[in-house]
Amino acid sequence: MIDETRLIEIKGVSKSFGDTQVLHDIDLYIRKREFVTLLGPSGCGKTTLLRILGGFEMPSTGEVLFEGKDMTGIPPYKRRINTVFQKYALFNHLNVFDNIAFGLNLKTPEQLGCKSRAEMKQEVARRVNRMLKLVKMEGYEKRSTNALSGGQQQRIAIARALVNEPEVLLLDEPLGALDLKLRKEMQLELKAMQQQLGITFIYVTHDQEEALTMSDTIVVMNHGRIQQIGDPKGIYDEPRNAFVADFIGESNIIDGTMLQDDLVRFSDTEFQCVDEGFAKNEPVDVVIRPEDIMLVGEDVGMLRGVVESVIFKGVHYEMIIESNDCKWKVQSTTMQPVGTRVGMTIVPYNIHIMHKMPVLKEA
Amino acid sequence: MKRSWYAAPYGLWMVLFTVVPLLFVLYYAFTDQSGAFTVNNFVKIASPMYGLVLWDSLRLAFFCTLLCLLIGYPTAYFLASRDFSNAQTLVVLILVPMWMNFLLRTYAMMTLFENNGVINTLLESLGLQRIQMIGTEGAVLVGMVYNFLPFMVLPVYTVLKKMDYSVIEAAEDLGASPVRVVSRVVLPMSIPGVVSGITMVFMPAVTTFAISRMLSSGMIYLVGDMIEDYFIAMNNRNVGSTISLVMLVLIILSIGLLRKVDPDNSGGGLW
Repeated sequence: MIDETRLIEIKGVSKSFGDTQVLHDIDLYIRKREFVTLLGPSGCGKTTLLRILGGFEMPSTGEVLFEGKDMTGIPPYKRRINTVFQKYALFNHLNVFDNIAFGLNLKTPEQLGCKSRAEMKQEVARRVNRMLKLVKMEGYEKRSTNALSGGQQQRIAIARALVNEPEVLLLDEPLGALDLKLRKEMQLELKAMQQQLGITFIYVTHDQEEALTMSDTIVVMNHGRIQQIGDPKGIYDEPRNAFVADFIGESNIIDGTMLQDDLVRFSDTEFQCVDEGFAKNEPVDVVIRPEDIMLVGEDVGMLRGVVESVIFKGVHYEMIIESNDCKWKVQSTTMQPVGTRVGMTIVPYNIHIMHKMPVLKEA
Repeated sequence: MKRSWYAAPYGLWMVLFTVVPLLFVLYYAFTDQSGAFTVNNFVKIASPMYGLVLWDSLRLAFFCTLLCLLIGYPTAYFLASRDFSNAQTLVVLILVPMWMNFLLRTYAMMTLFENNGVINTLLESLGLQRIQMIGTEGAVLVGMVYNFLPFMVLPVYTVLKKMDYSVIEAAEDLGASPVRVVSRVVLPMSIPGVVSGITMVFMPAVTTFAISRMLSSGMIYLVGDMIEDYFIAMNNRNVGSTISLVMLVLIILSIGLLRKVDPDNSGGGLW
């Protein structure tokens, strides 16, 4: 599916607004037909990076290459990139058809492979109708955009961008305003569209689940820096630092000490793990997913503790278990009542060891 | 107390000073000076002389509106642009003249345009010829534009300021060059403000009086001046009312026409 050609290369891009630096030395390449998600909390610089790709902002330093050619200074209207905006940004003086046809109507008949204006009109209509079908909005041509629901407006915004057959589609939190159910449907539809059309999608979101569902590659960002680049499974299973572990899915992050290769000490207990290459007695962050902690009888557990609280989450129960002054978040399909003494075991490959980061979180 | 009662003071005001006077206008328009019913007033003002005055009024109002649009739109566009941070100051500067009564403003214009006025004195001191300005249509037009310009700038500014900037970015993104962003998106989306501005300038401009008289020393005679003369100089409120009534109908008709362009009155106009 994904072509190995590097379509876009971002080299050492930094961006400052006044005294605030929002992007620090970003290096990233995006391949043809790849679905890349820029993921991070608000203010992490993901939207700024997207806007640099769209041509709406210029990098302060560094360069952006498109098919090997420098894109810096090329205005948005000369880029073969289209954007789906967060607030849709539809033209409310035009109806649905004319919104989608906007980009095509700016072209000359020759650019659309037509000999005359009349022929171009037919070609535009043909392409617009194909898009309406793709986004499942047939029959809405003549509607005013003001009369559409949020989900419908989003579909029109997507059609309006895709009809220009861009090399790259940029999407800036496009599903943010939709309700949960609609959002999940649209996630799958967007992914299907991307695969069907074979266009590179660069998607910005702060929703980790959305990123995991749709992406080929996730770029996790925080404080204007890339924290980790990888496929969804890699990011989830092998977070590179405590920020990524905390941001993607739920995690227990505990202070620990690496005693030697494959042996870590935390919560006053020594554990076998599968991580190597740390300094002897190096302080580390230990990350364990709540679903990776198994509840067993008190006497056979590696850790012993008391259930402090229980929340029913639908598929599973989420319990907070206190053990040796540590609070563990544990997910299990069987419920243990509050006050029960339990044992916990963790298999070595579910213990993730990370170097301490200089800055983990800022208030 | 029901909330509708809160509007009672204004309701009374409106009845006394809008509804009753309108009824008087209607009554006088259809009666002669003895109070008997007649349509002769209408016959009288159907003559070419009145037509000429009306034509002059419409023509001047049209050019005044056109000039206000040509000067006002770019101004509003500039004020509303994102990278202009002193907009608030300039908006106030545009509003300042509106805080003065229009007669005062027009008197000020007179002292500028007079034969011994500021401009001519300046010209003379530069060794140039004096220009006769008072009494020309140009002077009246400048006076009108000066008076009505803020009414064009403000509604257009309001609409442009409210416009979501991402719409402009979306147009650029879809391949529109800066010129086409303006012609295909900004202009069409600001039409409600333009309609509002046109209404707020053209309507009062048609019935301009005093400005024309003062800046033309009576050489240019507009419908507004004529109505004033009938009521005050000639003490003939019947014909005065008839002209007012005809103007009122014309104005209502043109508002109706403009409404067709902006059906939901999204320009936020006062009319």
